[in-house]
Amino acid sequence: MGVTILLSYPVPENKTGPQTVDLLIKRIGALGAVQSGQFLVDCETFSSGPTMGGPPRTVHVLHNSEQPAAVFALLESPGPPPKTVPLVADGLFDLLMLKMSSIYASKKQTRMEARGTRFEIADFLVKIGTVTMSSNFKGVLVEVEYRPCFIAGNCWELMREFMQSFLGSVVQNTPPPYFQVHNRLNDVYQPLDTIQQYLDHFASYRKVAGL
Amino acid sequence: MNVELDALNEALKAVSSLRSCVGNFFLSLSQGVRSEHGEDHRETKYILELQDLVAEISSNMRKVEQTCSSIPLPPDGQINLGNTAHLAHETTQDRQALYSELVGSYKWTDKLHEISNITFGFLAQNVMKRSYNSYLNSSGMNAKRRRLTPSCHNVPISSVETVITAIDRQYQDMNMNVYRPHPSNCHNLQIQVSLGRILRAVISFRGMMIEWVKVKAYNEEFQTDNGQLGQLDLWTNSRHHVFRKITENANAAMLHFYSPTLPDLAVRSFMTWLHSFRSLFTDTCRRCGNHLLCAMPPTWRDFRTLEAFHEDCKP
Amino acid sequence: MAMAQQTVNTAIDSLTAALKSNIIPNQEYFLQGSILDSSVEVLLHRLRGLCDNVDTNLETFHDHEMCFSIRGPNNTQPLQLRVRRSLDHNGMPMQLRYIGQPEIGDKSRPTVLRNSIDIGTSNTVVEFLTELGCRKDFEYSAKGYMFRKGRMKITVFKVFKIDETRKMMSSGGFDALSPLTHSYLVELSVLAPSGQDAIADDMRCFAEQLRPLVQLEKIDYKRLVHGP
Repeated sequence: MGVTILLSYPVPENKTGPQTVDLLIKRIGALGAVQSGQFLVDCETFSSGPTMGGPPRTVHVLHNSEQPAAVFALLESPGPPPKTVPLVADGLFDLLMLKMSSIYASKKQTRMEARGTRFEIADFLVKIGTVTMSSNFKGVLVEVEYRPCFIAGNCWELMREFMQSFLGSVVQNTPPPYFQVHNRLNDVYQPLDTIQQYLDHFASYRKVAGL
Repeated sequence: MNVELDALNEALKAVSSLRSCVGNFFLSLSQGVRSEHGEDHRETKYILELQDLVAEISSNMRKVEQTCSSIPLPPDGQINLGNTAHLAHETTQDRQALYSELVGSYKWTDKLHEISNITFGFLAQNVMKRSYNSYLNSSGMNAKRRRLTPSCHNVPISSVETVITAIDRQYQDMNMNVYRPHPSNCHNLQIQVSLGRILRAVISFRGMMIEWVKVKAYNEEFQTDNGQLGQLDLWTNSRHHVFRKITENANAAMLHFYSPTLPDLAVRSFMTWLHSFRSLFTDTCRRCGNHLLCAMPPTWRDFRTLEAFHEDCKP
Repeated sequence: MAMAQQTVNTAIDSLTAALKSNIIPNQEYFLQGSILDSSVEVLLHRLRGLCDNVDTNLETFHDHEMCFSIRGPNNTQPLQLRVRRSLDHNGMPMQLRYIGQPEIGDKSRPTVLRNSIDIGTSNTVVEFLTELGCRKDFEYSAKGYMFRKGRMKITVFKVFKIDETRKMMSSGGFDALSPLTHSYLVELSVLAPSGQDAIADDMRCFAEQLRPLVQLEKIDYKRLVHGP
């Protein structure tokens, strides 16, 4: 897959979430984008009970409709040293999490979902969706993928120009913070990078909610 | 009725055997005296042969007359021809709807003629022919050198490999792998080029002449799945608009750089041109100064200066 | 949007649907036996005659298997997880496998039955399990041959010890292998959705055809553990 940048689009004071989404859809339509189906990214969070000993560990299990056969799991380990271990597995991993439900319990009230419409314009894939946490509206996310390029550092300027053309000043002139660590600008982009960006955004929405 | 048909068949057979032996006679007559007739008395032998054939003709002739006379005439004096009798009917033009068809095909031919005239004029202005003769004709060189035939497709494969290795060494970020899809064919060679982490291309050579270019994304495979090692997929298009456009431009470049007298220079120039795509996603258009136009990066590179342009901005 | 939208199902929804229609192969029927090194050639010949993949050469494999367990609360039965990776083919996905307690059943049941979930994963799985709180119980490498007969899988392999020092030295390359026994393990197994007991009878018939070279039987591990 190509380099993907995920941005949170702030909902203006006097507008609702769906209105904001409609506005963005109108703008991308004006650029000549063609609608091509729906998308869904969901995230369920499991954490270890007190019996495990030590500080609790958290496993985020994410699905992306763009990779329908895969399950992405990100384990936040308290360490030492604290780290995040990613795992890409096939669909039956969800069954295994069910088997482990006595050890890792799902926090249902923090289940997050980004759902919306996909658009294609030349080699760009744009997804505009709303984020909900246990069916409460949380915000608007815009995902832009430039499919022919795999090195974020190579196409950031080009993508910035594209994103600014319909998102305006919401787009910063420097690459998003996710790309500025671990030499991510020069690594080959993986589906897992998209998942991690979604997780980062979900986490900040949760923080706002105070969970 | 049956008897009648049998007799008719008999008569037709007799006619065809008569025709065949008349044919034999004229064949023999046209060939004249042949070597089979030997050395001595060749003419006599030849005349005897002709006499035999004439005798055969007359016997067949008799047979035809006999069979004809044996055909019983139908009572009304006409032989029933069945459905074939209807062949001559329905000749009115209105009922055959021929007119509209004819008009259609006339229009079509007319259009074809017109379009081919335009194409001819267009092609005459833009010399894209790869044959040496027309090249020289158009530049008005003398007739003596015109007879030289292009030979760059006939270069031994080892020297092509040498040129490719030299080019490979020249560019750090451009790697080339050489494949020989048909080891028995000593002129065909394919190379797979990967340019940085931007694109991959497959280039098919006949001798020193580039025949075919296909450009794809860095992660798109050229290896075919059917397990035949060394077989590259020359046909499948890239999934991405950008690389389909570059493939088009690369084929134009391949024709532009083609030079029958200096084939290795043509290959070198083409590779230099292809190498300029290492900054495909970072270049801005020389004319409009933007990265994107119609959501596409600058996919055109000037052949001489290698400057980047959008498809619609190119000079 | 005015146009009709077909919504995307969540992965959990499709998994639940798949579970309901019972198409997920989550049960393993299996039989085990062993054969001495000296006679394994004869068995391989017979298997080549009986099985489907005869047209190609003998299909070999060399895998490294690590067994993990994770304990739940209240000292319940630990969850067993196995990770397998191919040593012959680098860069292939690793296999994570959950294996439930084997059910031996009574005499009428022809094979052992156990729950099983096979998951292909990325190569971070060992670190993932370790950080998840799993403990590595043991590891070994298995090298041998595999055959296919319809849905049945037959493996004939030898179990080798993993030399820790050597593993450190040549990251993953196990050149000097020390076998655990002088015999090969023979396994006959089928992964199937639950309730397809007919396959077990097919397996018994197939096992009959390998007698007396190898006796494929239901092995009761509990009896082995508590044995004399």
